[in-house]
Amino acid sequence: MIQLKSVNKQFGAISALKNIDLHIGPGEIVGFLGHNGAGKTTLMRIITTYLPVTSGRVMIDGKDVLKSSLAIRAKLGYLPERPPLYLNMTVKGFLSFAAHLKNVPFREVGKAVDRVCEECWLTKVKGRIIGTLSKGYQQRVGIAQAIINDPALLILDEPTSGLDPLQVVQVRELIKRCEHQRTVIVSTHILSEIENLVSRVVIVKQGEIAADAPLVELLYNSQSKNLEEAFLKLHPVYEKN
Amino acid sequence: MRKINAIAFKELTALFGSPLAYVVLFLSTAVFNIFFFMIIDQNREAHLKDIFTVMEFLLVFFVPIFTMKSFAEENASGTMEFLLTAPVRKIEIVLGKFAGIKIFLFCVIAPTFVYYFIFSHFADFDKVTALWGYLGIWLEVNFFAAIGLFISSLCRSQVVAAMSTYVILFILYFSMSFKMYVEGKLNVLVSYIAVMSHSENFFTGIFLLSDVVYFLSGIIFFLLLTRLMLNRQ
Ligand SMILES: Nc1ncnc2c1ncn2[C@@H]1O[C@H](COP(=O)(O)OP(=O)(O)O)[C@@H](O)[C@H]1O
Ligand SMILES: [Mg+2]
Repeated sequence: MIQLKSVNKQFGAISALKNIDLHIGPGEIVGFLGHNGAGKTTLMRIITTYLPVTSGRVMIDGKDVLKSSLAIRAKLGYLPERPPLYLNMTVKGFLSFAAHLKNVPFREVGKAVDRVCEECWLTKVKGRIIGTLSKGYQQRVGIAQAIINDPALLILDEPTSGLDPLQVVQVRELIKRCEHQRTVIVSTHILSEIENLVSRVVIVKQGEIAADAPLVELLYNSQSKNLEEAFLKLHPVYEKN
Repeated sequence: MRKINAIAFKELTALFGSPLAYVVLFLSTAVFNIFFFMIIDQNREAHLKDIFTVMEFLLVFFVPIFTMKSFAEENASGTMEFLLTAPVRKIEIVLGKFAGIKIFLFCVIAPTFVYYFIFSHFADFDKVTALWGYLGIWLEVNFFAAIGLFISSLCRSQVVAAMSTYVILFILYFSMSFKMYVEGKLNVLVSYIAVMSHSENFFTGIFLLSDVVYFLSGIIFFLLLTRLMLNRQ
């Protein structure tokens, strides 16, 4: 479904991504793992057509992201690292707005809003102004916005960052529910949060892919009990950072 | 079209969600009424020229207040990433925001239609000139709004966006006063750039295609420039 061929991304002198080759098949649930500044967000922004590559090629469903950007965006659900929230809109107002922009048929907008509110446990706060909601609710509004068009590809950039433990559990539950019949990419720098969520882990390190394997294989090869340990083996300097 | 409407509607709700909108609507209507009353009270000729002139003056001050947020706020809050990754064309984003502001500015101008009807019922009134004047003021506020949108698309801070828009609108609006200090080609240039040299013609019933071209090309130029600015990351 997603194919990156020798993708490079420069920001001025900074080389954020170096020669990335990546293939993600339909229905795969992939976790991008790496600490801050590794290049996860940049990688996601390139897949979502938000950023152009410096060199290399990105294809989604056989289409080039630069040439068919609009068609690709129509199938996409994306939660940016900073949840995109209009703080003075109501939850319902914002979700309807997202539905209109994302090609939900006109007559089904109301139904789609009700559906995602139910899926994301937002029904009770549907009429509330987004700015007055707690961080956990806001994050769920961000996820609701991403799935309103029932996307074939769902990309969530650090969906659990900045939440308290209970909210993290809720969001993780929610992502699990979203996984049906979709390709999902989730990024995080907190390992334990994707361990039970993803089937494949791509470890990003200083703009390069340091490891890319099914979760079990990664654990087996590095002789580690959990992802945390496997990660530390690949990142000897991790503790110092 | 549907996406342009959705964005325009969102902009309008945001504009009318702030008390400033009502203050401006109230204030401008009050000022227009005073000028209208003066025309009647002094038994002057039934003409909307004075109304247009004061409207033009007020709008130079009001337009930046309502355009400053448009892109600057989205740039600062990160919602731009949402808009740009939704299946929406960049030109639709620009036109949607432009439409929202236009509808709001129409509401500022609309109360003066009452004067038009009063004059056409009770006075010897040149309707064609008045309608031409309305076309002029409409093109002019659209021009101001396009400039405001463009500046806002460059900024993250609303204050910076408003201030920079004021600078440009003031240059366009007051440059007529500097005309006498320059000569030759520069003089021609200044009077071409000055909005007043074009809007005056509309208000006084002088029909010149070049004035329409001035505003229309300005609007299209700044909208396209705004669209181009959305490309840069
Ligand atoms: N818009 C940008 N301009 C300049 N440098 C950037 C920009 N975005 C990201 N970077 C740089 O690219 C690198 C990767 O960043 P990012 O993709 O945000 O990492 P992550 O999401 O893994 O924390 C960092 O060094 C960051 O400073
Ligand atoms: Mg990031």
